[in-house]
Amino acid sequence: MTIPYNTLVVAAGVAAVGFAAGVVGSLGVLRKRALAGDAAAHATLAGVAAAFLVSGRRDLPVLLAGGLVSALLSLGGLVLIRRFTKTRDDAATAIVLGVSFGIGIALLSGITARGIPGGGGLEQFLLGHTAALTAADAALLAGISLAALAAVWLGLKEATLVAFDPAFAAASGWPVPLIDYCLVALVAVMVVVGLPAAGAVLVTALVVIPPVAARLWTDRVGAMLLLSGCIGLIAALAGVAASGLVPRLATGPMIVLAAAAIFLVSLLFAPRRGWLARRLGPRIPLTFE
Amino acid sequence: MEPTPFEWSPMHGWAIATAAMVSAGCAVVGTLLVVRRMSLLGDAISHAVLPGIAVAVLAGGRPGGPLVLLGAVAAALVTVGLTQVLRSGGGLAEDSSAGVVFTTLFAAGVVLITAAASRIDLDPSCVLYGILELVPFDTVRVAGFDLPRAFVTAALVFAAILLGCVLTWKEQLFAAFDGEAARAAGMPVTATTIGLLAATALATVASFEAVGAILVVAMLVVPAATAELLSRRLHRMMLLAVLIAVACAAIGYLAAWHWNTSAAGMIAVVLGAAYVLAAVAAPQDGLVARLAARAALGWRVTAEDCLASLWREEEAVRHGAASGGFGGWRLRQRAALARMSWAGKVLWTADGWRLTDSGRTEAETVVRSHRLWEAWLGHHVKLPLDHLHPPAEWIEHHLGADVRARIEAEVGGRDTDPHGRLIPPEQTP
Repeated sequence: MTIPYNTLVVAAGVAAVGFAAGVVGSLGVLRKRALAGDAAAHATLAGVAAAFLVSGRRDLPVLLAGGLVSALLSLGGLVLIRRFTKTRDDAATAIVLGVSFGIGIALLSGITARGIPGGGGLEQFLLGHTAALTAADAALLAGISLAALAAVWLGLKEATLVAFDPAFAAASGWPVPLIDYCLVALVAVMVVVGLPAAGAVLVTALVVIPPVAARLWTDRVGAMLLLSGCIGLIAALAGVAASGLVPRLATGPMIVLAAAAIFLVSLLFAPRRGWLARRLGPRIPLTFE
Repeated sequence: MEPTPFEWSPMHGWAIATAAMVSAGCAVVGTLLVVRRMSLLGDAISHAVLPGIAVAVLAGGRPGGPLVLLGAVAAALVTVGLTQVLRSGGGLAEDSSAGVVFTTLFAAGVVLITAAASRIDLDPSCVLYGILELVPFDTVRVAGFDLPRAFVTAALVFAAILLGCVLTWKEQLFAAFDGEAARAAGMPVTATTIGLLAATALATVASFEAVGAILVVAMLVVPAATAELLSRRLHRMMLLAVLIAVACAAIGYLAAWHWNTSAAGMIAVVLGAAYVLAAVAAPQDGLVARLAARAALGWRVTAEDCLASLWREEEAVRHGAASGGFGGWRLRQRAALARMSWAGKVLWTADGWRLTDSGRTEAETVVRSHRLWEAWLGHHVKLPLDHLHPPAEWIEHHLGADVRARIEAEVGGRDTDPHGRLIPPEQTP
């Protein structure tokens, strides 16, 4: 059995996305911003559909740029709600998530109902479908993922400091809100890049499940980032393979289920923090920080 | 976009009625979720009911039937239970554990539905955003009438939610605003919370066919958050949330029809517009009202400062200083003075601004507040003399007559401030 060149390139690109999402997501989870990307993820759909309407073509770079714009707009909306209304954070997130997804669905259905050529394929951004990606698309995704990894490498010290002791960071003169914005923006970028593989509804899992699983294995930030990246990579590859074997199956759910399986194994068998280790060994304090 | 011609038919009436009924149920539950800061749990549940529904349908349940309702409630409770287990057993943060659980369950649901697509009439995209437009064509016979099945389910669920809410109102209110005190008072807080979660699952599954899994979040949270900006009483907030939800459902459906797009999507968009409108224009908590209140306070402070300055100038002249030492009014102060001259508190003369009698009365009240506060600070806090002025300058605008009387009694009825200046007597307007 030979695998076509295109499939291999796509698999490599999606693997890079999975790795970078795991690494970036680790910082988000450590900073307790696990669901910050969820509102942005649901908002990407509106940007993708709007970009298609404006450009009239289904080029991945254009669509992703649209998705990034709407993701950042939704985060801006979140900041505005926090700053100017008395609505609390949880409700603000739910409002931005629900309404921006509604805008996306309304645009998408409008495009489908009018039979605009090429519009039908946009639905793949809901649940992810890697079969439609070209080698050039995959190269783009991998390139952005590498850039995100470079950004993490540059800002790792600041992000770690803010994640573990924001009060100390602020007292030492670090611009904590700015670092937080950068972190959330980076998560938004990874959410957008993960879109073709995992889809708007489930792409959050790409930045949440691998970090949470990796955290169970180690107490070192560097090791957690690396491990989380590897888990993301394996899950992404498994998802691509599964949806390649069963064409009807969307990629997103398979990636999520693969990551969840790794999480379950970690929860049971991780040293010290795992269920088994805690049944057999000494009880250690269960703090996540 | 070409508008569709507007032709009314009973089918549209039924679709709107279904959307309104579904939204009303969500709004009641959502109000309690929002005031209890559990909005994200609503989000998680609305994703996680999917595998429950899928399994129930695979086991032979009809969409909207009792088995499916049961499956959804079970899935919701499993979600919350798993989230709790990961939090307490795995030491995870709440949003991390919720994020793991609901994405996994939703993915499992999608895979189940895709794998069994040939055997069940649920399609993944309908799961995501519903098919409100087709709801009227699937009817059941109730008491001699053909009613849409989704409407009947939604009406029953709404009635159940409303009944539960009315019967446990006291508990819900207590648990929402002071869970610790409610627990200490022996209220069944945990049972109340589980009831709320079950109601969320019911509202979600009743909405499922009409608006899909994800837009339920908007219907749960947005009407309640909008109503919260308009009212500060829980029962009024809930009533408003229901009204907003129903109105937005109808408007959203008509808008979707007009532009030929998804009704569920448009309902969420209209809800968002309603929220923005309330955030900007709500009478008490809206942005405009708050900015106006802040501006009004700012003007009052400026005006009172001007009056007090004029009064102090008069006092200085009484003590023999040269008149007219006060010319440099800033632009804002000039505007305030002009307004006050219109109200008859100050008068423009050849020597500059002068107080009228009514203006003098008001000025004496401000100066009295200021100097009483300085006296109090000097008496109780033992601040050095040059530290007394700034806090008094701030608080002089906020003291009422009773507070002044109490301060006067507390500093022993003295009539001078720590700088030795006379404290003007209380004015009776």
